Amino acid sequence: MPQTTIYVSPRSLGAPDTRPPAVATTDLARLFAGSPALAGVSLRVDAGRTVALLGPNGAGKTTLLRILATAIRPSYGRAAVDGYNLGRDAAIVRGRVAYLSHATGLYDDLTARENLSFAASMLGTPDAAVRVERALADVDLAERARDRVRDFSAGMRKRLALGRILLGTASLVLLDEPYATLDLEGMTIVDQLLGAWREVGVTVLVASHTTERLSPMLDGSVILERGLVTAVSGSGVASTPPSLPAASRPVVVGSPR
Amino acid sequence: MNALRAEARVAIAVARKDALSELRGRHATVSTLFFAAVVLLLFGFALGPDSTRLAAAAPGLLWLAIVLAGLLAVNRLHLLETDDGALEQLALYPVSRRAIYAGKALGGFAVMLLLGVLVLGAVGVLFAVNILAHLPVLLLTVVLGALGVAAVGTFYAGITVRLRAREVMLPLLMLPVLAPLLLASVKATAAALGGDPFGELGAWLQLLLAFDVLMLVIGLATYGYLLEDG
Repeated sequence: MPQTTIYVSPRSLGAPDTRPPAVATTDLARLFAGSPALAGVSLRVDAGRTVALLGPNGAGKTTLLRILATAIRPSYGRAAVDGYNLGRDAAIVRGRVAYLSHATGLYDDLTARENLSFAASMLGTPDAAVRVERALADVDLAERARDRVRDFSAGMRKRLALGRILLGTASLVLLDEPYATLDLEGMTIVDQLLGAWREVGVTVLVASHTTERLSPMLDGSVILERGLVTAVSGSGVASTPPSLPAASRPVVVGSPR
Repeated sequence: MNALRAEARVAIAVARKDALSELRGRHATVSTLFFAAVVLLLFGFALGPDSTRLAAAAPGLLWLAIVLAGLLAVNRLHLLETDDGALEQLALYPVSRRAIYAGKALGGFAVMLLLGVLVLGAVGVLFAVNILAHLPVLLLTVVLGALGVAAVGTFYAGITVRLRAREVMLPLLMLPVLAPLLLASVKATAAALGGDPFGELGAWLQLLLAFDVLMLVIGLATYGYLLEDG
């Protein structure tokens, strides 16, 4: 695989300490049908860091990523990306965040190239045709560019969704279990992308069950359990206990979604 | 001006993507057309073989077939977005939500226009109505009617796309709102076919145009909220 080129907006550059925190949340909580998936998370991640979100199923990792991506709104609390409030400045935040979820967001009846071309139009990517071809090569799908996504394996779909992220100029990349469904070659692509993002100062939050593969690329990690941060480690990441008194905090009952 | 150009680019990209997906999944378009044909035939059977009666009922049958088949078509265009989280991804792009609405409505309009023209031709053949003599004004009516169905359908399909009972909810929500469009389209078509003896054609077309503009404005202003999940 050729060297991956990451495009960043000038706003993403600069010494990390001169930029506002990439992620800052205060007492962030989200209820689903009355039961909290996130129960009061106050977290700060400095710009340019690669941080793992760890925890068992139902710990709230995906919910936190989805809130930061503006896919869902928090039930309580505040959150900001690069200093921009997620509620008030959602449109600005969307231009700064790229999110790889469990679902790939691809159109089955379009080819790999058409899917990325559509994404490039939506992202306003300059030199779209060239960038699409480069992104396809970066995720090792250049030879399948003309094939419909309907015929792709789960791993190929995930690689194409990763290619979509390369078309933007995100300063914060949110990855939800990026290694899931990938073969060894696909995992290597994720490793290379993580290295490339780190090199250019893009902040990356990776939700994962384990850190075995991620460890060498991490600045820090956050452990979530039952919707709360139970531990943080490494540099560039910090958490404070929920400021709400325990009695008025949302309580996790059973296994939250 | 640049912002407007960017929104137009997004709208065209969305419409193009929908059109490509529709063309590739041709079974959906073909089955919608068959549905419209079956509706026309069934209404024809119900009204009996009297050709005068059929010709008199033709404007109503034409628009019932267009509206009922249109329900399927606009629903289908939003179902594309349920492919593997596509709707969520669409909502996460840093683009204006009204541009997304405009794109979906434009795609819906293209499908509805094709549907409308084909159903118009079918009505001409099946019910022995001379549509060629009044073609320009009939086509104008189809254009305005198709635009209205697309504007309303895109809006309501945006509401129902996440619901489990969407196939039931979409007609329940859409059909009452489409009543003025149905009335104006049928009256305009009847006036056009009859040579407009009472000079009412212009008024019905104006009503159709006003309906389209109103529905487009409502859709453009509110579609963003429909894309929000929680």
